[in-house]
Amino acid sequence: MAERVLAHRKSNKANGIGTYMDYSLLFIVIFLLGFGLVMLYSTSSYEANLTFDGDSAWYFRKQLWATILGVVVMLTVANIPYHFWERFAVLGYLVTIVLILLIIPFGRESHGAKRWLIIAGVSFQPAEAAKLCMILFLSSMICSMGKRIRTRKGFYMVMAIPVPIALMLWRITRNMSSAIIVMGIAALMLFVSCPDYKRFVLLGLAALVGAALLVFVIVRMADAGADELNFRGARILAWLDPEAYASGTGFQTLQGLYAIGSGGILGKGLGASKQKLGFLPEAQNDMIFSVICEELGLFGAIAVILMFIMLIWRFMVIANNAPDLFGALLVVGVLGHIAIQVILNIAVVTNTIPNTGISLPFISYGGTSVMFLLIEIGLVLSVAKGIHLKDL
Amino acid sequence: MRETDDYHNAQKTFHRNKTVTVLFLCIAVFLGLIVRLVYLMVFQSEHYMQKAKELHERERVIKAARGRIIDANGEILADNRTVCTISVIHNQIENADEVVAVLSKELDLSEEYVRKRVEKYTSIEKIKSNVDKSVGDIIRSYELAGVKVDEDFKRYYPYDSLASKVLGFTGGDNQGIIGLEVIYEEYLKGEAGTILTVTDAKGVEVPEAGEERIEPVNGKDLYISLDRNIQSYATQLALQTMETKQAESVSIIVMNPQNGELMAMTNVPEFDLNNPYTLPEELGEADLSAEKEQELLNAMWRNGCINDTYEPGSTFKTVTAAAALEEGVVTVDDSFSCPGYVMVGDRRIRCHKIAGHGAQNFVQATMNSCNPVFVTVGLRLGVDNFYKYFRQFGLLDKTGIDLPGEAGTIMHKKENIGQVELATISFGQSFQITPIQLAVTAASIVNGGKRVTPHFGVRVANADGTGSQSFTYQVREGTISEETSATMRYMLEQVVENGGGKNAYIEGRRIGGKTATSQTLPRGSGKYIASFMGFAPADDPQVLAICIINHPQGTYYGGQIAAPVIKQLFENILPYLEE
Repeated sequence: MAERVLAHRKSNKANGIGTYMDYSLLFIVIFLLGFGLVMLYSTSSYEANLTFDGDSAWYFRKQLWATILGVVVMLTVANIPYHFWERFAVLGYLVTIVLILLIIPFGRESHGAKRWLIIAGVSFQPAEAAKLCMILFLSSMICSMGKRIRTRKGFYMVMAIPVPIALMLWRITRNMSSAIIVMGIAALMLFVSCPDYKRFVLLGLAALVGAALLVFVIVRMADAGADELNFRGARILAWLDPEAYASGTGFQTLQGLYAIGSGGILGKGLGASKQKLGFLPEAQNDMIFSVICEELGLFGAIAVILMFIMLIWRFMVIANNAPDLFGALLVVGVLGHIAIQVILNIAVVTNTIPNTGISLPFISYGGTSVMFLLIEIGLVLSVAKGIHLKDL
Repeated sequence: MRETDDYHNAQKTFHRNKTVTVLFLCIAVFLGLIVRLVYLMVFQSEHYMQKAKELHERERVIKAARGRIIDANGEILADNRTVCTISVIHNQIENADEVVAVLSKELDLSEEYVRKRVEKYTSIEKIKSNVDKSVGDIIRSYELAGVKVDEDFKRYYPYDSLASKVLGFTGGDNQGIIGLEVIYEEYLKGEAGTILTVTDAKGVEVPEAGEERIEPVNGKDLYISLDRNIQSYATQLALQTMETKQAESVSIIVMNPQNGELMAMTNVPEFDLNNPYTLPEELGEADLSAEKEQELLNAMWRNGCINDTYEPGSTFKTVTAAAALEEGVVTVDDSFSCPGYVMVGDRRIRCHKIAGHGAQNFVQATMNSCNPVFVTVGLRLGVDNFYKYFRQFGLLDKTGIDLPGEAGTIMHKKENIGQVELATISFGQSFQITPIQLAVTAASIVNGGKRVTPHFGVRVANADGTGSQSFTYQVREGTISEETSATMRYMLEQVVENGGGKNAYIEGRRIGGKTATSQTLPRGSGKYIASFMGFAPADDPQVLAICIINHPQGTYYGGQIAAPVIKQLFENILPYLEE
């Protein structure tokens, strides 16, 4: 591990002490941001041109500003020692709850779900803040628990912390994917901070069996001709056979599959997607990966996945060399957030799991998302800076 | 820094292991997703690509121009005219009011009608088809967004009703409905092309995607043996005859007896090919039921020369004579006596000349069209021989003419033919054949025994003359010997020079022929069919014509009313054909 870090070493000549800036991570993030902007423009320009009266760069420009702002914030955060944020852990947790509750009276509705708050003219998704605050709060809490985390009580306590937020996200903002991510982050951080495996294997198996059972029950209900299946039930049926629900619940999935399938091995070429011409709903948003597949083919899709694997690998390297547990846990939380979101997004787009709205980090359209992701990267870079070469 | 120390000592190892585990878990999941992507993008690629293509492309059909029909002299009898179809594309309309105003004005439609269609939410809505090209050009010049003017072909017959029952006409999809248009459909119709345009989800064409064009293959031109001049003259004669004789209908067939090429075929009244669904005024009453109207239309379109059968009457004596001569049961010099009737079993069959023709040889009997003599000859032949010749002449089969709906011969079963039936068959009664069947059979009797296939189609070729493809037709030789054929030509020439067909005689021409007058069933209805079969030159027939007058008023003898028609026809067309 030491050699790898040394390769990225940057000596601080003024202090004479070697501090570490993870340029690999920085490069991967900047690459993903640049690539994301190109794909966003490619995907959204046709529709923007129609929707915003000839302004084909409408989405692109908004995203570009959010990205530039995000990079500035990231670099700022990267230069603030991460322990500075520990004191805001509890406050962040509470503020998250308040923000989500504020959605009930003040939230802006879109696509049948209230997810946005308008603060000083800028629309903002509390769900994104919730993920960051959860990472911060759990890191701080696990550190203060010390060895108590290994007890059964400690285990359940950590698992209970994200539940109210997850439930609120699910019930108030009708955003199940964010709820899943919050729970997933907590589970992953807990996994890393506990020495045993058995409990987690059982937990994973229980989740799998539960999901399988749910699918089985819904399919049986549908076979029995039950009408009162809610929209999530319908989504599961559409997942199993999207072509049978082509005009309804399965529409987006099927349009995404058309895009992915028609990309083939080499793709149609950048800008040549047909599905983005209004056929694929949310093309620049949750479904952007299918447009990447259509335009850049299997090679492009695998290249994007490899970039994310490299990103996760850098997180792992930094986490394992972090100066303290708090830093390591922060990085593991960010790793969990990004890994889960990428996996869920690609799984949804390829119809590997039932459809749930989830964006692709750094690439999908969404200012709040890219802002908070860059704050998280800033935290990771800050942790990486704390790696003193003498510690290695 | 206690915490940090702890961290560095005891916990770090398992934390590291766990983080590495997380990394590998992630990599494993990503590999699974890659496998899924490979499945979708390699193995399912074709399926989804096809589905997506269907979704993105709008198909517009480009009609192929139907092949023309061209007569023996290169005159175009069936052509295509460019017409326009005006449609609107809802999503592309920018100024709906203007579109409504212009279209209703130029197309002479009510504003409501146009507005309803303009406001209808469909990808493409047809406003009017078969619009004149000039009107289409005017509408195009407005350059209205969302209005499409598509050019199309419509069948057009320059000579309106000329040879209507032969040529036939086409339906809404440019497909043949009757006549040659049906039989030569596969050559005439060509192959439609398509324009595939890529559209976005709202149906708006994506300009940079371009369009994929599959060019139509135009139909081939059909060259036919029909001669517009002869057809036109035959039609005139037939119409004139129909009027003067107040007949129900008149049919004329003009054929080359050597190869079966038909030069004219008319059945008056004809109908207007450019308005084939318009009934004649006296029939076209407003309150016709759809069924009744269709019935009347079918009757109007009927080609009597091939769709209907009739009792040929005395023209059929040529067949009896040829068979008897060929079989050797009679010679030209055999002498007969006609008392005005002949007894067959206990039946008395009368001659048309009640007083009888007295003593006569076989040639004279033919000239006189003497029934008792032909009954005698027919009985000499016997059922077996008669049936043999029926088969040999091809009378039991269809002629194979290249027109749809040829009727078959209605003949007694061989085992049902008794003496009386045999006697009536001998002078052309108690069975029915089509006029074209008579023409082909007569042709084989005078052309040396060749059973030709009557036809119009000579060849097909592309509009630029390339790809010419000639049709060949079966010719079966040996229906009778050349010797018998020569005898028949001589006898039939005698009929015209000195016998019952003398009204067809033309000074300085050698014409052969035979008259017929048959009563239509039921007997005693007072309705007759007068007919005449003639050919020229009598020693080497190059043209054979048949005229059939259905239900004439007043004089109904073939020799009196049908023979002069053929005479007039020959007077005009023989010099013309010699040119």
